[in-house]
Parts: sequence; structure tokens; C-alpha cells
Amino acid sequence: MPVNAASAAVPRPLVFAGFPASSWAFALRTWLAMMLALYVSFWLELDSPSSSALTVAVLALPTRGQGMEKAGYRLAATVIGVVASIAIAGLFSQTDGLLLAVFGIWIGLCVYVAGMLDGNRAYAAALCCITVALVAIQQIDTPLQVFPTAVARGAAIGIGVLAVALVNEVLAAPNYHPVLTRRLEALHGRVTDLTQAAGPASATAAASLLHDIAALHPEIASLVTESSIGTARTEAARSALVDLVSALSLGRMLTALPATSPDTTGLMAMSRSWLQAEISRKNAQARGCLHALREGKRPHHAWRAPLYRSRRIAAETAARAAISFMLIALFFVLTGWPSTERCLTLVAAIIGLSSISPAPRIFALVAVTAMPIACALAGILKYLVFNGVSEFQLLAIGLAPVVIGLALLISLPNPMLSSLGRLVLVFMIAVLGPTNPQSYDPEVFLVTSLFACLSAVLVFAAQMLLPPLSGDRRVRLLLGEAGRELDHLGRGRTRHLAPEEAAFRDAALIEQILTANGALPLDGQITAKAMRCFDQAETLRRCCAELDRLRQSPLAGAARIAREALARRSGGAILASAEALRQAAARSKLSANSAIAMLIAAHGAFASSQSPSQGARP
Amino acid sequence: MTNTYRELVVGGVLIAPIVSYAAIALLAFLLLRPLLRFVGFAGWFSNPSLAELSLYVAMFGLLALFL
Repeated sequence: MPVNAASAAVPRPLVFAGFPASSWAFALRTWLAMMLALYVSFWLELDSPSSSALTVAVLALPTRGQGMEKAGYRLAATVIGVVASIAIAGLFSQTDGLLLAVFGIWIGLCVYVAGMLDGNRAYAAALCCITVALVAIQQIDTPLQVFPTAVARGAAIGIGVLAVALVNEVLAAPNYHPVLTRRLEALHGRVTDLTQAAGPASATAAASLLHDIAALHPEIASLVTESSIGTARTEAARSALVDLVSALSLGRMLTALPATSPDTTGLMAMSRSWLQAEISRKNAQARGCLHALREGKRPHHAWRAPLYRSRRIAAETAARAAISFMLIALFFVLTGWPSTERCLTLVAAIIGLSSISPAPRIFALVAVTAMPIACALAGILKYLVFNGVSEFQLLAIGLAPVVIGLALLISLPNPMLSSLGRLVLVFMIAVLGPTNPQSYDPEVFLVTSLFACLSAVLVFAAQMLLPPLSGDRRVRLLLGEAGRELDHLGRGRTRHLAPEEAAFRDAALIEQILTANGALPLDGQITAKAMRCFDQAETLRRCCAELDRLRQSPLAGAARIAREALARRSGGAILASAEALRQAAARSKLSANSAIAMLIAAHGAFASSQSPSQGARP
Repeated sequence: MTNTYRELVVGGVLIAPIVSYAAIALLAFLLLRPLLRFVGFAGWFSNPSLAELSLYVAMFGLLALFL
């Protein structure tokens, strides 16, 4: 292997048994937090000590801020879920089928809300559904136990959160902001390269860059919980994201400017120089935001970064989740098996978790794989390793290799293996169910394992029967929505967003389109179409914003004509209105360079859309 | 000197005083965060988050002791 001077100068990270030292530290922290949570739960004689260990398994994240943010949402979602459980159990406890239907509707509602949010907020929505499953569905035959179960779960989750927080603080778990800063700097470099490239950038490269920028959105919220200057850092990171999208969209406008003809030389030159100045300004603002992020200061301007989510897709996913749950509940009613509420609880939990995964079917497959592994591990631990012991020290030593090993698996960069590691850890704790004193009844263990595996298989079977929205259909729906939004733009219906913020929202739409097919590469034509919509929408918004500024000036008449030309989406009319505006500005001795530059950019965007071979740029 | 701890009653549910102290301390700490940012608290320590946790524990302890 060739070794050059640069690579020799960089210190290699410490690696042990194929895993870096940071992964080992993370695994050790997870095990310590879990043991602390279990010890405190046993000491306080809580009813469900395994819930606190489960909380630690769920909150096992490599950086401190991410874990704390998830913990906050977990607590909030538990409170909402408990209130919903009490309300549902109170109102529908004696209603048989109706109760199951209400559970199904609640699950659908939670999945819908999860579909409209991202990151840990979506997780919180899914957890509302899981909490109801664990509190109300588990006590389906004993509604009077709902409140004590809810209190026990709340206390156990509180202990788990405190254990994770304490271990992360004392053992100095790494902060997330240096990682995020490095990623944002890399994105800034890519945006600068793309905007300074001589020729027009390919739609695929631009779309992939927009996807990478928008994909950081859910992660910046975790900076708030890191330290007292976390709020300023979040604002800086958010503004950097918005500025990067703006710089990229302006760069695309610059490269899409039409070729100069003798009549339009002056207009083109004016537009080009204005766009170049604006790109430099946006790049400088992005650099300022990155500096503010490093220093923990507020940015020059705090942009909002609105999220794009399709209501239609969220509603269709929610309907599928609700119907799947009701079908499985109906199956259990028809079989008449005893103690199936545990199984139904796990079904609701898997449906909730799969709703926040980008590919629900793959998640269900991972769950089907993880469940037998978790049951086998729990069985080995219970009957071969512990085999009747009740001392806490032995429990801690026995759990160490499994918990540390699975935490190492979670720290892997491969999303499939990482997800498998987390699911096996969570399911293993759920099946093992550490209690004080530990129960070693083989019948209980066998029934629990059987029902756990059955629930995963049933969710997978329900997904085969009622397949989730396919990637192609998602892309079609999203492109249709993008097209409709573009049609309405500049024709009365406006959102109260600055053009930069609206551009970020459109970048989130591009991200949705690119992730709709999972890991599969997207068709070049679809990417080109999505990017054409993006370019036209950004140009139109900026044009309208610049023309609105002229509304109170003597150039109001020319601006109105330009708006009418924009509403017609006619490249020729837009060019004529830009020329008219330039003449009106010269007569009134006023400057309207920004509006004229944007009108020329709009002319470029709509002229290229009228000739598809130019617009596609594959 | 012995403290008389009074439980918080919400809709007939008794909540242990330590829980309400923890919540009050958390609220007070969150309100204090802008001030900490203003005085540059994070710059004084090598592990600011641990210092913040210690501050929270101190506030929680004082509340439990004197309230």
C-alpha cells in the first residue's frame, strides 16, 4: 500500500479488535449506563426495571447532545402517550372491537404525525404510539392497572434518562458540534466548487448536494442540549444550511443564463455581475455562520429552515399502519389464544418504529431477523450464563459481553448492521426482562420468545399483504406536488417565507425525492425534472420578492407588467419586461438592477424549460 | 432541624417532593442558561457540560435543603 507524506503525518486512530477507541468508549458507556439504570431501579423497587435498561438501549447514541435530545423527546412522548392511554382506557374499556379500532386509529394518527416530522421529533410521535401499546394494550383486560403501569413506566424511563445523562457527562462523551462543523465545511467546499465550475453542473450532482444539505436538518436540533451556548450553535448551523442552499440555487441561475445576443448584451452582463456578487455574499455569510458555529455565537441572520413533508404520503402510510394493526388484532381475536396482549404490544411497537424508518419493509425484515437472535441471546444468558443466580454483580458481568458487543455493532457506519445491533439489544432486554429477583420460569420464557418472534413475523406478513408505498409512487406524488406548487407560485397564493427559507424547503423536497427509492439510484430524468422545478421555483420567488420591493416606487407600473409576464411563464415576455424595467429605471434615474437580474434569470429558467434537451442537462 | 416535606397534589395524585424539586431546579437552570451564555460560562471549564451538571446538582441540593 503506498504511503505518502500527508497520510503519514495524520495520526492514525487507536484501533482495537477492528473497532476504533471511540466505539469502545461508547460501548463501555452504554454498558455502564445500563447497569446504573438497572441498579437504581432495583434499589427503588420499581415495578418495571427492564424499562429503564430499555431506555438506555434506545438512547445509546455516540454523542452527548444526540442522546440528550432523544431523551427529552422520549420523556415528552411518554407523558403524551400516558395521557392518551388513560383517556382511551377510560372511554373505551368495555367496548371489545371498538377498543381495538380506537387503538388502530391512534396508531394511524401517530404514524401520520411521524410522517410530517423528522429526526427525533418523528421518533417522539412514534413513541406516543408505542407508549399506548405498552401501557394500555398490555393492560387491555385490566383497565384499572393502566395508571399504575403508566407511573411505573414513567419512573423507569426517568431513571434510564438520568443514568444516560450522568454517565455521558462524567465520562465526557464527545460533543456533536465538531462533527457537524466538519460536515458543514465539507458541504460548503462542495457548494463553492459547484458554483465556481465553468460549465453548467449536472442535475444529479446538484440534487445530491441539496440532498446532503437537507439531510443535516434533523441533526442540528441536538446541539441545543449540548451546552448553554447550544441554542446559538443551532441557529448558526441552521443559517449555514439555508445560506448554502441559497448559494447553490444562485449558482445554478448563473449557469442557466441564456447565451448573449446583440440585443441583450447589456442585460446579460448586468444579470451576470449581480448574480456573481450575490453568490459571493451568500458564500461569505455561510462562512460567517460556520465561524459562529465554531465559536458558539449567534449568526449574522437567523434563518428558519422549514421542512417539506407530503401530507398525502403521510396519510397513506398512516392508513396502512392502522389497517395492518387492526388486521393483526382481528387475527388474534379469531384465534382466541390467551395472553396475546404482549404480542399485540410488540406489533404496535414494531409498526411505530418502522414508520420512522426510511424503508419500512427493510425495517420489518431486520426486525424479523433480530427477534430470533435476541431470543437466543436472552435464552443463553438466562439458562447458560446466569442459571439461577440473583446477585447484581453477576448480572452486570454476564450482561457485559452482550451489551458491549451489540453497542459496538450499533457504532458501525453500515446503517443495516447498526439498526440490527440496536434492535437485537432492545429486544434482548425486553425478552430477558431483568427483575429483582430474577424469574427463571422456562414456560414464561418460551411463551414470551414465541410471541415476540410471532409479532415480528405478523408485521412482516401484514406488510406483504398491504405493501408500503413504493418508491416510484412516492416520487410521482412528490413531483406532482412540486409541480402544483410551482403553478401556484406568483399567482396570489404565497407562504410567509423569505426566498432563502423557501429554497431550503424545496431542498428538503429534493431530499425526499432522492430518498424515496431507498438506496437505489434515481432515474436521471426524474432528477432533472425535480431540479428544473427547483430552479424555476427559486427564480420565481426571488423575482417576485424583488418586484414587490418596487411596488411603492415610480417603477411600480413596469414591475406590475413584469409580474404579469412571470404569471404567464413566458420567456419572451419576461425578457421584454426586463428591458422595459431597465428603460423605466434609466428614465427615473433609479436602480432596479436586482429585479432586472432576477428577471433575466427567470427568462433563462423558463426558456430552458421550453426546450427540454437544454433543461435536462444529464 | 428537620424539614417537613410537602407533597405536590395534582388531581388527587401525590407527587414526591424530590420530583417537584428536580423539576423546579431544571426550570430554574433553563432560565439561567441565557445568563451563563452571556457571561461565557462555557469558556471557563475544560468540560463545560460537567460544570453545568454540577451547577444543576448544586441548585437541586440547595432547593431540597432549604425549601
